Amino acid sequence: MSYESVLDALGDGTRRRLVEQLRGGPRSVTELAAAFPVSRPAISKHLRVLSECGLVTHETSGTRNLYRLDPRGLAELRRWTEQFWDDVLGSFADHVADTRPTARRRPR
Amino acid sequence: MTAIAPVRRSVTVVSDPGTAFRVFTEEMAAWWPLLTHSVGGADAVGVTVEPRVGGRVVERLRSGAEETWGTVTEWSPPTRLGLTWHPGRAPSEETRVVVTFSAVGAETLVELEHTGWESRADGAAIQRNYDEGWVLVLGAFATRAGAAG
Repeated sequence: MSYESVLDALGDGTRRRLVEQLRGGPRSVTELAAAFPVSRPAISKHLRVLSECGLVTHETSGTRNLYRLDPRGLAELRRWTEQFWDDVLGSFADHVADTRPTARRRPR
Repeated sequence: MTAIAPVRRSVTVVSDPGTAFRVFTEEMAAWWPLLTHSVGGADAVGVTVEPRVGGRVVERLRSGAEETWGTVTEWSPPTRLGLTWHPGRAPSEETRVVVTFSAVGAETLVELEHTGWESRADGAAIQRNYDEGWVLVLGAFATRAGAAG
């Protein structure tokens, strides 16, 4: 599981819409498939991709297979985003310290 | 639907807020880590913030092409800069970034808040094109760019 696989998974419109649906709460494949103009096996395949990257998890309840969002996938994206801004802000602070002669270097 | 918590990061820089704001905006090309944090990566040659509400944050590529990262929504030097944020993505997939500059003694606390991970509440836009309602994927925003670096 990595942010790259999360992003790749979300690069597909149907999968983005599946995640959007699941943000409203757990759903069965049947319920999910009813909302899309694609076959149920196709939906199952998309759900498998989403599961593999950690965005979606599922549990069997009787004969029903319920899918729900898995916070791990989004946590991965959040960590990536935080790292992105830490890199950017760190570079900014270093630049200020390096180019303002009276300034002392930022403590590390 | 539950809200997705904002990403908040901060750094302290050794200058007054006015200088910090000016360097952040006017000198962005001098400090932004373009190689790893841009759409073009090694082909990115600069980035400019157009200093007004409605101005763009725009990356320039070696080929002369431009990549718009976002648009200025708040321009309040030396304390506050607001941007829409969608590097490498369509404007319909925008998230929002607000950067504030506060004096702390002789230094400046720079706080960045990145929000807007949810679908927009703009029902009309969602009806027009479902995908336009989607911005969660931008958890990644500059993403592809960063991934490439």
